[in-house]
Amino acid sequence: MTDPPVGAPATLEPEIRRVGRELAAAFPSHRGRPLKAVDDRAMDLAAQDEELRAALFRFVDVVPACRSLDDLAAHLTGFLEQVGSRAPSLRAAMKMGHTKAGRAALGAAGAAGVRHMAHRFIVGEDPSAALAALRKLWRDGIGASVDLLGEATVTAAEADRYATRCGEALDTLAAAFAGFDAQPLLEHDAAGPVPRANLSVKVSALTPLLRPEAPERGQRDAAPRLRELLRQAQTLGAHLHIDMESLDSREAVLELVLALLAEPEFADGPSAGVVLQAYLRDSPQTLDTVLGWARRTQRAQPLTVRLVKGAYWDHEVVEARQHGWAVPVFEHKADCDANFEALTVRLLEARPLVRVAIASHNLRSVAHAIARNTALGGGPRDVEFQVLRGLGDDLGHALAASGLRVRAYCPVGDLVAGMAYLVRRLLENTANDSFLADQAHGVPLEQLLTAPQSSEPA
Amino acid sequence: MTGPAPAPFRNEPVLELRRATERAKLAVGLGELRLPLHVPVWIGAERRPGDEIASTDPGRPERVVALAAMATPEEAAAAVAAARGAFPRWAATPVAERAAALLRAAAWMRARRASLAALAVRECAKPWPEADADVCEAIDFLEFYARGALELQGGDGPPLLQVPGERNALRYAPRGVCAVIAPWNFPLAIPTGMTAAALATGNTVVLKPAEQAPGCGLRVVEALRAGGVPADAIALLPGEGDTGAALAAHPDVATIAFTGSGPVGLQLLRTAAAVRPGARQLTRVVAEMGGKNCVIVDSDADLDEAIPAIVESAFAYGGQKCSAVARVLVHAAQHDALVERLAGAVAGLQVGPADDFATDVPPLIERAAQQRVQRYAALAAEGGEIVSGGAARRGALPAEGWYVAPLVVSGLPPDSPVLREEIFGPLLTIEAVGDVDEACDRVDALPVALTGGLFSRNPRTVQRVIDRSPVGNLYVNRSTTGAMVGRQPFGGNRLSGTGTKAGGDDYLLHFVEPRVVTENTVRHGLVV
Repeated sequence: MTDPPVGAPATLEPEIRRVGRELAAAFPSHRGRPLKAVDDRAMDLAAQDEELRAALFRFVDVVPACRSLDDLAAHLTGFLEQVGSRAPSLRAAMKMGHTKAGRAALGAAGAAGVRHMAHRFIVGEDPSAALAALRKLWRDGIGASVDLLGEATVTAAEADRYATRCGEALDTLAAAFAGFDAQPLLEHDAAGPVPRANLSVKVSALTPLLRPEAPERGQRDAAPRLRELLRQAQTLGAHLHIDMESLDSREAVLELVLALLAEPEFADGPSAGVVLQAYLRDSPQTLDTVLGWARRTQRAQPLTVRLVKGAYWDHEVVEARQHGWAVPVFEHKADCDANFEALTVRLLEARPLVRVAIASHNLRSVAHAIARNTALGGGPRDVEFQVLRGLGDDLGHALAASGLRVRAYCPVGDLVAGMAYLVRRLLENTANDSFLADQAHGVPLEQLLTAPQSSEPA
Repeated sequence: MTGPAPAPFRNEPVLELRRATERAKLAVGLGELRLPLHVPVWIGAERRPGDEIASTDPGRPERVVALAAMATPEEAAAAVAAARGAFPRWAATPVAERAAALLRAAAWMRARRASLAALAVRECAKPWPEADADVCEAIDFLEFYARGALELQGGDGPPLLQVPGERNALRYAPRGVCAVIAPWNFPLAIPTGMTAAALATGNTVVLKPAEQAPGCGLRVVEALRAGGVPADAIALLPGEGDTGAALAAHPDVATIAFTGSGPVGLQLLRTAAAVRPGARQLTRVVAEMGGKNCVIVDSDADLDEAIPAIVESAFAYGGQKCSAVARVLVHAAQHDALVERLAGAVAGLQVGPADDFATDVPPLIERAAQQRVQRYAALAAEGGEIVSGGAARRGALPAEGWYVAPLVVSGLPPDSPVLREEIFGPLLTIEAVGDVDEACDRVDALPVALTGGLFSRNPRTVQRVIDRSPVGNLYVNRSTTGAMVGRQPFGGNRLSGTGTKAGGDDYLLHFVEPRVVTENTVRHGLVV
C-alpha cells in the first residue's frame, strides 16, 4: 500500500487555520464559573512543581482507601513531607497535621477537594444518576458515550458483575435516550441512523485472564460476555464501543472484537466501534488490519473507528524502558500529531467502509479533520468529534456551536472506582507537553494551529 | 588490555512476548531441540559418557531430556586436581582476557537464546517467559561479572593512605578452586552466575549442576569453553548430592558457591568449617538458601495492584523460586476483600504444560516435590480453611506429570508447620493482622530473611517497614520475584544465606582475597 503524505497539502493549511480560529472564537467564556477557574489554577500549580504534583496525585489515588479523616490527614501530610519546596499553604497544612482536630479538618478538606475534582470528570455514581447530566449535554447538542468505571477485574465473578452492570447501563441509557428530543445532527450520517445510546466497554474488565503472551486465553474468556452485550445492544438499537487499553492487550482486544462482529448473528447490528491509538508507531499497520477486515466483512452498520492519541503513554514508555524494548509509542509530540493527521486522512478517505470519530482535544488536530472532511466533500454530520467529560468540555461546546457532531466520553462510577481514571486524567492535564497546557499558558493561537513538524523521515 | 573497555552494562532484554512474532521464535527453538542430550563427566578434554542420571520433562515424565554420567568420588577428586593445576595460569591471565572470554560466552548464549530457553522449558518445566528470562539472566551475569572483575582487578586497586617513604597497594587475588553447586530452578542463570563470578576473578571452577538439570549445566560449560575459558579451568561434574558432598569436602577447594536448600547449605557450611587434613586454606562458603517470604498488605493498599502481584509472586513457576511469596499478612480491614478476590484470581490460574504460553502454573520439578507439597496441603486442610484450590481442583489436573493445584489457605494456627517451613510449591497462606507493626513482628520472628513485600500507600508506613525489615530484598508495591542483575542485587540474611548479593557490585569480593603490599622506598635516608 502507499501511504498518503504526512501532514496536509500546503493548500489546506489556510483553511485549517481559518477553521481553528473560528473554533477558538466559539470557546465558551469562563465568567460566572469561578470553580472551574479554581480547578484550573490548582492544576496549573501542580503542573509547575513536579514534587507537589507527585504528592497530590498520590493523595488523590489513596483517598478512597482511607478509613477516617485522621487517616486521610496522615496520608496527606506524609506526602507533603516529601515535597522539598514549601509554599506557605503547605506549611499551614503540615501544621494542622499536628493536632487531632487539625487532622480532622485537613482530612475533610482533602476529601472534599478530591470529591470536587472527581465530579468534574465523572458524571455520576451510576448511569441513572448520570441521566440529568447526559440530558443536558444532549440538549446542548452533545451526545455521550458512557464508560463504567470499576475496580480491576481479577476474578471471574468480577468480570460477570461488570458485564451485568454494562447490560443494565445499556437498558437504562436506551430507555432514557429514547425520551430525549430529536437532535438530527447527532442521529444521522451518510451511512444511516446513528444510535442515541452509546456505551464504551473494556475487555480487561470482561475477563481476568488477559495475558500478553497468550491473547487467546483472554479472548476465549471474554467472548461470551462481550457477545451477550453485543446481542443486547442490537436488541436495544444501542452502540457498543470497545475501548483500547495498553499495548499488552491490543492483540487480544482487536482480534476478539473483529472476530465477534464477523459472526453471522451480528451482520445486521449492532453499531459497534474500536479504537485506533495514534501514539503507537505501528498504528498505521493496525489500521490496515481494521480496514482489511471491514472490506472483507459484510455488516449493515459500518464499524466506527475512534481515533485517539492514546492514554497510556507513560505506561508504555516505562514498561519498554524497564524491559529494554524499543519504545512502541512516539516520543515526540509532533511525531504523534503528524501520525494522527495521517491516520485522520486515511480514515476519512476510507468512508463509507468505516465511520470516523476524531477524539482529540488538540485544536490543530480537530481543525485539520474538519478542513479535510470538507475538502473530501463530507458534510458536518459525516465525521464525529469526541471529547472527554471534564477535560474537553469547552472544545465540545465550541464544536457543537459550530454545527458539528460531538460526543462526550462520560465516565460513570463511585469515587473508589473512579480514582485510577481521575489520576490518569489529572496527569494528562498537567503534563508539560499537553495541548491543553499549551493553550492554558497562552501559547499564541497561530502557533497552536501550525502543522506538526515530524522529526522523523516519513 | 585486549581491546577497548566494554560498553556500560545493560540487562539483556527479555523477548517482547506480547507480540506474536516473538512467540513464534521460541516455538522454533523448541522444534529444533534434539533430545536427549548426553551429558558427560567433562574434565579438561576428557569426556566420560554415561547414562546413570536421566532428567525428564516434569510434564511428561517418560520424555527423557538428558542422560548424564554420574561422577564418582574419584572423578570429583580428578576434577579438583585438574582445576588446581589450571589455576596458576588462569589466575595469571590478564583480567581483560578473562573478561573477554566471559563476554564471548555471553555472545554464544545470545546466539542460542531460543534453544536454551526451550531446554529450560523441557528439562525444568519453566514456562516460556520464565525460561526466556533465565537465559537473559545467565547472559547478564556473564556481562556483569566480566565488567566487575575489570573494575576490581583491572586498575591499581583501591586507594590506601600513603606517607613519604613507603608505597602501599592492595590488590584482589583469586582464591583457587571454586566448587559451584547449583540448583535446578534457575537452571541456566544461577550456575552461570556463580561460575562466572569465580572465573572472572581468576579462580578455576568445578561445576556440579543439579541432578534435575544436567542438560542445562552442560550448556553452561559449553558456552564458557566456546568463549575461550581453558578446558582445565572449568569442569562439569554431573551427579547427585553425594557428588556435591565429595566435591565440597575436597581439601583443595578454596571456595564453595552454593544455591539450594537450607539443610544442604548448612551441611556445606559445616563441611567447610572443618579444616580437612592437607587443606592449606580456610574454605569460604557463598550460600543462598531458602526463605519463608511474607508480603504485608496494609489497610490503604490498592488491591487492584496487590492481588495480581501477589498471585504472580506466589504461583509463577509453581512457587519454585526462593524469592516466591509464601505468606500474606493482611490488615484486618482488608482481610475479607483480599481473601475473596485472591481466591477468585487463583481459581482462574491455568495449570498446564510449560510449553503452553497460556500456562500459569506448570508441573513441579519431580515426584518428590509433588508429594512434599501434597503433604503440606493436607496439613493446611487440617489446620486451616482452604479458600481456593484443593480437592475440587485436583480432579482437573493433567493425568501425568508432577502437577499440583495452586492452593490458598487461611486461618492456620500460628504454630502450623505450613506457616514456618519452606514448602517451595504453589501454596499460599493468608493471616489477618491488627496493624503493620504486628505484621513486622511476625516477619521478625522467622529465622529466615530472604525476600519480603509491602503494599502500602503511606510513605511513613513504608519507611517504618523498611526500618524494621530484616530481609535481603524488600519489594514495595510490586511483586517479590524477578530480581534483575545490577538492579536488585539478590540474596538473603539470617539463615537464608551468607548475606552475599548475586548481581551486585560486592559479589565478586567473596571470590578473591585481598593482598596488601607495602614497599619501603627509603634508601640511605633518601626517598627513592
